[in-house]
Amino acid sequence: MAVMLERGEALEICETVLAHAKAGGAEDASVSLQSSVLSHARFADNRISTSGRSEDLDITVTVWVGRRRGSVTGNDAGAGALKTLADEAVQIARVSPVHREYVPTLGPVTYPESRGFAAATADVDVAARAARLKLVLDACNDAKVTGAGFHSARASAIAAATANGNRRYFRSSEAGLSVTARSADGTGSGYYSADHFDLARLDTARIGQEAVGKAVRSREPKPIEPSTHPVILEPQAVADLLGFLTNSFDARTADEGRSPFSSKDGKTRVGEKLFNERLSIYSDPMHAEMPATPSTSDGIPAARLPIVTNGVLENLEYSRYWAQERKREPTAGPVNYIVESSQPAVSLDDMIKATNRGLLISRFWYVRLVDPRTLILTGLTRDGLWWIDKGRISHPVRNLRFNQSVLAMLAPWNVEAIGASRRLSPLMVPALKLGAFTFTSVSDAI
Amino acid sequence: MAPEATRREFIAAGGAAIAATCVPAWAAAWQNPSAGDPARAEAAEAALSRAAALGATYADIRINRYRRESIATRERQVQNVSRSTSRGLGLRVLVNGAWGFAATNRVDPAAARAAAEQAVAIARANAALATRKVILADADKVVTTWTSAFKRDPFEVPLDAKIAFLMKLNEAALAVAGVSFINSQVLFVDEQKYFASSEGSRITQRLVRTYPQFSVTASDRASGDFQSRPVVDRAQLVGYEYVEDYPWLSDAEKAGHEVVEKLKAKPVAPGKYDIVVDPSQLFLAIHESVGHSTELDRAFGWEANMAGTSFLKPGDAGKLKFGAAIVNLVGDRTQPGGLATTGFDDEGVKSDRWPIVRDGIFVDWQTTRELAPLVGQARSHGCLHSDSWSSVPFPRMPNVSLQPAATAVSLDDLFSGIKRGLFVEGRGVSSIDQQRYNFQFGGAVIREITDGKLGAMVKDAAYQSRTPDFWASCDGIGGPSTYRLWGTSADGKGEPGQTNAVSHGCPPARFRQVTVLNTAAL
Repeated sequence: MAVMLERGEALEICETVLAHAKAGGAEDASVSLQSSVLSHARFADNRISTSGRSEDLDITVTVWVGRRRGSVTGNDAGAGALKTLADEAVQIARVSPVHREYVPTLGPVTYPESRGFAAATADVDVAARAARLKLVLDACNDAKVTGAGFHSARASAIAAATANGNRRYFRSSEAGLSVTARSADGTGSGYYSADHFDLARLDTARIGQEAVGKAVRSREPKPIEPSTHPVILEPQAVADLLGFLTNSFDARTADEGRSPFSSKDGKTRVGEKLFNERLSIYSDPMHAEMPATPSTSDGIPAARLPIVTNGVLENLEYSRYWAQERKREPTAGPVNYIVESSQPAVSLDDMIKATNRGLLISRFWYVRLVDPRTLILTGLTRDGLWWIDKGRISHPVRNLRFNQSVLAMLAPWNVEAIGASRRLSPLMVPALKLGAFTFTSVSDAI
Repeated sequence: MAPEATRREFIAAGGAAIAATCVPAWAAAWQNPSAGDPARAEAAEAALSRAAALGATYADIRINRYRRESIATRERQVQNVSRSTSRGLGLRVLVNGAWGFAATNRVDPAAARAAAEQAVAIARANAALATRKVILADADKVVTTWTSAFKRDPFEVPLDAKIAFLMKLNEAALAVAGVSFINSQVLFVDEQKYFASSEGSRITQRLVRTYPQFSVTASDRASGDFQSRPVVDRAQLVGYEYVEDYPWLSDAEKAGHEVVEKLKAKPVAPGKYDIVVDPSQLFLAIHESVGHSTELDRAFGWEANMAGTSFLKPGDAGKLKFGAAIVNLVGDRTQPGGLATTGFDDEGVKSDRWPIVRDGIFVDWQTTRELAPLVGQARSHGCLHSDSWSSVPFPRMPNVSLQPAATAVSLDDLFSGIKRGLFVEGRGVSSIDQQRYNFQFGGAVIREITDGKLGAMVKDAAYQSRTPDFWASCDGIGGPSTYRLWGTSADGKGEPGQTNAVSHGCPPARFRQVTVLNTAAL
């Protein structure tokens, strides 16, 4: 059985392709490789539906001939295929225009060892997995709810080599389980998910219990008027929104005047206090719970990179090319996003107790970017929404559509409390208590 | 009608007449199974026989090769030219009524047998949790080849011609005063698929798709404001003739003028409007509100953990009022140019065309061999699809298209009689709930309609409605000459997530008293 490639095997393939590229006339070249195995099981209607395992290999070679660039990807590591791959890249380069954003490939660099790999995740015992999923299905049957969910375990090895002598190899893994439980009368639904790089750290039973509990507690929701309300967002709900913020930290887009972090007269908003002063966002490949590959996609060694510190936008992401244009160093990330409070975390229970009137939100669904200037998003609540009255959860509420700016949501005046951060890859995110969040219509969906 | 407009209309409608079938010499061996790839056939037979020996009551295998070529540019430079090839096999088995699947990039008999062993082991491990045993609807045994219609193989066209096309496209937009940026791309996809089942089917297919797309941006550096005009949903199941024959440059120039106007447009006043929706946006409304709600797997809860369920229930077919009586929608995997058009689906069922909504009544589902028997149907409509050899095939949307009015209803006819309305064109933001009731759609270009006449552009507008209310409010549908085919290349569904390319044909249509938001003033 083929499994993920070891360091020596992976780098040997890279070296072979590099040699073919140089022999074909490439003046500069980089080769990257990913070898992966994915095991998954899906269930719905309280039974297993589909389940499988797949293994693959992707080899990409990028070459430059006279600053002209060509790139080819294949998944065949046979000797003939590797030569064809390199030759085709050179052929493309020869007929392409000059690549104006060419930056010479990296030379030798020392990287830290990656932390986010567990062998158990790479080699799933399918009988043991079925036994764990039975716990979830039994919990659903016992509570008379209908369970659906997805269990996955992926392990990858990535390797890269450049004509200028850079060599790197990292392994990573990720296991996850998500469960949706729906009440028999169709009026309640709950969802919970968790992930970890180590399959053994996935608490299958707890994930099932959380989803079942939410389904039971969310039955027979009542409608409320869609308007602006105070809210508490559970970590999952925060994660569902924050991807739009983390995707906006690109320096080039901001410099070009088409980012929420673009300012007037061609400037950016770096240095401005845009967010609540307790809120910090950083990237750290060595984070104990949410480690990441210790290299950027450009090959720059990743290190802790502050992005937002105590509410101030501190850094945007510079690729090697854009850093060269702006005469500065490329950034050592981001490779993940750790969102934290600078003050002691507030528990969800304490947030609820401190809420006079407001909504408790489990998650969001179909979130889309409405306005890239202000990061206004639209989407809907899903799988657990409750009204809080005088510090206690009062009753479940029908789902609502929101239109809300992420920048306004995290503004200095709007964040009232921040919880402990929880891993929801590639984020570590806390629960948030917010003063105002805008809803625009009611949804009939359960 | 100007010749250019005639050509545009012709291509946009699917271009069936121009698309003579063309099989290049290199692909001839692939197309002929008897003379075809012996290693592939050997691997398929090895997998199927090993699965049978281990107790599988049914097995099928897809041995596919996907080729892609992408050229991406911005302004006056090429950002990236890349090609990729991915080949491998994926085997599906039924053991004790439970599915198992295994896939590998190695295509040889030994790897195929190993995949069979893995798939059977997975199915056996899960069988105790498969409380309903899978039963498949009957399907014909088919041994054949099928190739999508195209005139010019994009992979045979020199790279410099493709780059020159994009550079001209970019210049057409950049020549408009006030345009700051353009990003453009052409993507070509060549799927070569081989299907073999334990029931004896052996099907070889080739599908060629062409995806030109661009987005124009105008930025006001002094104020920090910017607007974009994307044209990203024009992909079709056609060849390079689509790049050569369709008037892309005038589209780019028009997009340039539109984005400059959009930067200066006044904000929309929120409220209720009569809206006319152009096919360039209506296709997406059909996709989200009709395409996904009529997927039978969703109605059974199989997607509950991800894409969601449906407001339609399994017993609703033939009974439920979906929209106004003038609304007719068909599922169609035979539509010329349609991104979800194919000869046979990924379990060997011949492509089909069938009514989904007839005279406003929901009448039928999208089905597969596993789903059809669950609603008492003897045959599948052919909706099983996997986006790769490495993906588990599962129910995916066919082309779902709104039928035009029988008479010649023009866009002006739809505008007439509207006192206060909006005309919505192009892709904006789309979002819909997990049961496909509540949606919010934007547009790339939205203009006022006042007393039946098209007026100034507005910005920050989005319309919100509820699927049954929206389709019930439809009181005007364009005639046959207004029908266009648009499509989305990356419709997401399933776990692990898979993408699907799917088209929706439609004329413009009018909807009464729809809620419109000003998204910047909430």
